[in-house]
Amino acid sequence: LVVVVCSPLPRFRALLQRCWGRLDRGLWPGVFRGQSPAWGRSRPPALAVQGPALLPQGINDAGESSTKAPSLLESILLMAAPKKRRTIEVNRCRRRHPNKLIEVKRNIDVCPECGNLKQKHVLCGYCYAKVKAETRLIRMEIRKKEEGPFNAPTVETVVLYEGEKPTEEDEGKRIIERARKRPSWFVQN
Amino acid sequence: SGAAWARGLLSWARPERWLASGSLFPLSCIHTSTSVQKIGKWEKKNRIVYPPQLPGEPRRPAEIYHCRREIKYSNDKMWYLAKLIKGMSIDQALAQLEFSDKKGAKVIKEVLLEAQEMAVRKHNVEFKSNLHIAESLTGKGRYVKRIRCHGKGMFGIMKISRCHYFVKLVEGPPPPPEPPKTGFDQAKEYVQQLRNRTLVHTL
Repeated sequence: LVVVVCSPLPRFRALLQRCWGRLDRGLWPGVFRGQSPAWGRSRPPALAVQGPALLPQGINDAGESSTKAPSLLESILLMAAPKKRRTIEVNRCRRRHPNKLIEVKRNIDVCPECGNLKQKHVLCGYCYAKVKAETRLIRMEIRKKEEGPFNAPTVETVVLYEGEKPTEEDEGKRIIERARKRPSWFVQN
Repeated sequence: SGAAWARGLLSWARPERWLASGSLFPLSCIHTSTSVQKIGKWEKKNRIVYPPQLPGEPRRPAEIYHCRREIKYSNDKMWYLAKLIKGMSIDQALAQLEFSDKKGAKVIKEVLLEAQEMAVRKHNVEFKSNLHIAESLTGKGRYVKRIRCHGKGMFGIMKISRCHYFVKLVEGPPPPPEPPKTGFDQAKEYVQQLRNRTLVHTL
């Protein structure tokens, strides 16, 4: 490959024209010609020349246009655009293709606790909401007891419902009272 | 404008005085509000009354038509959900819609529950699970055009799309799905077509 850089000196230009003529006529076999069949293989430039644009004149114009970026008006001509309007039949084939339709889910079961529907790999939404509501009330009780941030004790917490007494295991633990009957799903200990 | 006309017409009658006396006045049948423009065709399908069936005829299954108008969702996107539940039993359809992530799934689920409720209360359906979806369609609602601002002072016109959703529930178990057409069936049909050919303009 030949790398060329322009420079406005007529003597250099004459020299380079002679070199190029020799290359064309094959009188300079030591230099690798860019027009050889080995076009696809990338090699480092065998001849790097600094000087004005060489013969033939076509390279001159090509060099000038390659350095100038295509203007906005010209680059619009090179953009991808649809050639023809897609008919409704073609559109329907694409939109109604089986890979675009919604698949029927086969992983839906019935929750054994509440009887609502649930996905096999996901917790039951109803039971989760039920537990979440109770947890929120417990947390409100904790907040009332702590009276401010950064007051969390270093001991465990035990939640006791109506009519329950702390056992021997709950000696050093913090006790949170909830004013309701123990829910069936919240097993003691 | 309709309300003003109606009020002007009845101003001489002054029905408030008659109502105060406690007598029944059939004014409720006159619609003085302008919001109810026109009753759609799908809503009118619920009003047809068949003549009583003869003793020997098979029982005609109950049909319930229900729809929801001007849902803020795209028609094309809603069509995929309508296609999903076509031909399913109502329980299966509700299960599929509950775990679908689409916005239209929630709306269609409400419509189906309303239709189920209507079926049990008004249309003499015995078991609410014994319904299947015979037809489920979508329609284009009224679109509104708005300006969408792009960079460099450019703008595009976007359309805010709405859709309608129509469903027809029929009593009874869902019909079995059609078996896919085999090559053998297609070949048989082709041969039959060839055999049906006759000679025209001959003796």
